[in-house]
Amino acid sequence: MPELLLDVKGLETTFKTPDGIVHAVNGVSFGLKEGETLGVVGESGCGKSVTMLSVLGLIPSPPGKIKSGTAHFFGRDLLKMTTAEIRQIRGAQIGMVFQDPMTSLNPVLTIGRQLEEPLVVHLGMTRAQATIRAAELLAMVGIPNAKDRLSDYPHQFSGGMRQRVMIAMALACSPQVLIADEPTTALDVTIQAQITDLVKRLRSELGMAIIWITHDLGVVAGLAQRVIVMYGGFIIEESTVNDLYANPTHPYTIGLLGSLPRVDASGHETLTSIEGSPPLLYEKPTRCPFAPRCKWAMERCWKENPTLETIAPDHRVACWVDVKTGRAR
Amino acid sequence: MTDNNVLVRVDNLVKHFPIMRGLLQRQVGAVRAVDGVSFELKRGETLGLVGESGCGKSTTGRAVLQLYRPTSGSVHFDGADLTKIKGEELRAMRRKMQMIFQDPYASLNPRMTVGEIVREPLIVHNVATESEANERVKQLLELVKLNPSFSTRYPHEFSGGQRQRIGIARALALQPSFIVCDEPISALDVSIQAQVVNLLEELQKEFNLTYLFIAHDLSMVRHISDRVAVMYLGVIVELSTRDELYSHPLHPYSQALLSAVPIPDPSAETARQRIILTGDVPSPANPPSGCRFRTRCPIAEAKCAESRPDFREIKPGHFVACFFADRYL
Repeated sequence: MPELLLDVKGLETTFKTPDGIVHAVNGVSFGLKEGETLGVVGESGCGKSVTMLSVLGLIPSPPGKIKSGTAHFFGRDLLKMTTAEIRQIRGAQIGMVFQDPMTSLNPVLTIGRQLEEPLVVHLGMTRAQATIRAAELLAMVGIPNAKDRLSDYPHQFSGGMRQRVMIAMALACSPQVLIADEPTTALDVTIQAQITDLVKRLRSELGMAIIWITHDLGVVAGLAQRVIVMYGGFIIEESTVNDLYANPTHPYTIGLLGSLPRVDASGHETLTSIEGSPPLLYEKPTRCPFAPRCKWAMERCWKENPTLETIAPDHRVACWVDVKTGRAR
Repeated sequence: MTDNNVLVRVDNLVKHFPIMRGLLQRQVGAVRAVDGVSFELKRGETLGLVGESGCGKSTTGRAVLQLYRPTSGSVHFDGADLTKIKGEELRAMRRKMQMIFQDPYASLNPRMTVGEIVREPLIVHNVATESEANERVKQLLELVKLNPSFSTRYPHEFSGGQRQRIGIARALALQPSFIVCDEPISALDVSIQAQVVNLLEELQKEFNLTYLFIAHDLSMVRHISDRVAVMYLGVIVELSTRDELYSHPLHPYSQALLSAVPIPDPSAETARQRIILTGDVPSPANPPSGCRFRTRCPIAEAKCAESRPDFREIKPGHFVACFFADRYL
């Protein structure tokens, strides 16, 4: 087994809100191998973004609090680092791209200025060197007339172009890991295709590992090698991409795939919807978080929360029921 | 038009929004949001209207319902030209045509109870006494699978999917024959989307409703529509029956759009050829001459800049606005 680049174990994150404590992430463990693309899938509030923000030390505290867990990156625990230490890592060894490229860019600084910043801060370049490198980076992500556009401001770029700039910025210091949080959700499909195409090209050129957070099972299918499905602050299924779509095993994954119409379908398909709505997480779940919406729920599901068990090579699932037989696993 | 089967006929619909400048607020230009759109809706059918943000699909929906008064063109509904009538006459027509909005958070008044929201159309149009209205609210809530006892609660107590059901109940209150659904599921989580779409389909069957279903999600539009129209920069570029359009798209834009939609299946994803469009959608305030799509079109020629291609019936029931569509026949 190849060495894990990033090894997260038992991560728990909570938020204090006026309505009570929200248990956003409830003991999440996963690893990221060198050069692989890991898809993290789930609906709003499932904890996928909070997991990654926790690892990066970007959870505002208070109200957020990392209750427990470790996140080893090159032998050092990111969760134990001081703000100054983790700043050396963020943007240098781990690059980040967020959903909304308009709010992630500073509107009053030129694109060039913002691209040069990580180069000066992390790589110790002079301004002149950084300007040359910034133009190369913009050209790398497919922005025409890169050199001239360095003096433009974010509002002069379209949504897709801004996301390209964000990617250029995230890759400025040649990170080993790129964490992308819903990077194409705000974009139209033809622009989304441009961006995923770009990321695939850069991945083969630069060889970085990618964590791609999304709610879109379609995007992940074409991009990731391995997928984690999250629900209610837990990982409920983890598999290679092919096996996940061929043999979805957790009732939630099955329901999610069944509720998606396909653009290449023939005739009319019936969508199997999942009844009910996602949990609110004001209490730390002691039972399976999906039980209230699950067709297959048994008595045990209401009493104990299942842990991830290996059911096939590289395929783990947290469910008491074997859906194929309808009986206990 | 003598065809009794046609409920809505839109002819050359145009909606321009003026751009005002200067002290005297002189009109210096216009955003040509909808620039000559024609289509028909048969009774009981669903016409899907797809396109990327800013293509004019929502404006088309609103102009059809006279929520925006069209700049020119006509909209025949049930025999009357809506663009020619006003006042009480138009108000009376509005009972038969309703709208479901995208954002279930913004389209419900937070200070009104669910009962008041659903009842309001009945009171405004003076079609029911207080007690009749209360009875009707109960029926409507049951119809959209909400507990009738919810009528005393306020919108903030409900999840997105439930709120969208409230909006649907309100739209159904006056027993309309035609409903414009403007991105009714875009704001909802994947597992909730299927619930709402299934409900819309059931209601359509029960009441023989006619839907104009506006969305950017091509998979969902494929699922719900009988026929589909593809819009680009204020014009319909292609319109056909669902299966025909999705299996044999003839306009280069439809082809690129369909190829860009991710498929939740890794083997289908790796097998398919993606057409990646370059650049972004031009501004509707200053659209390209001739064919609107020519600046991004992979097969554009000189002729495309000179004149606008006719929206012609290339095969029975299959309309396309491209000079070279015959190549793909």
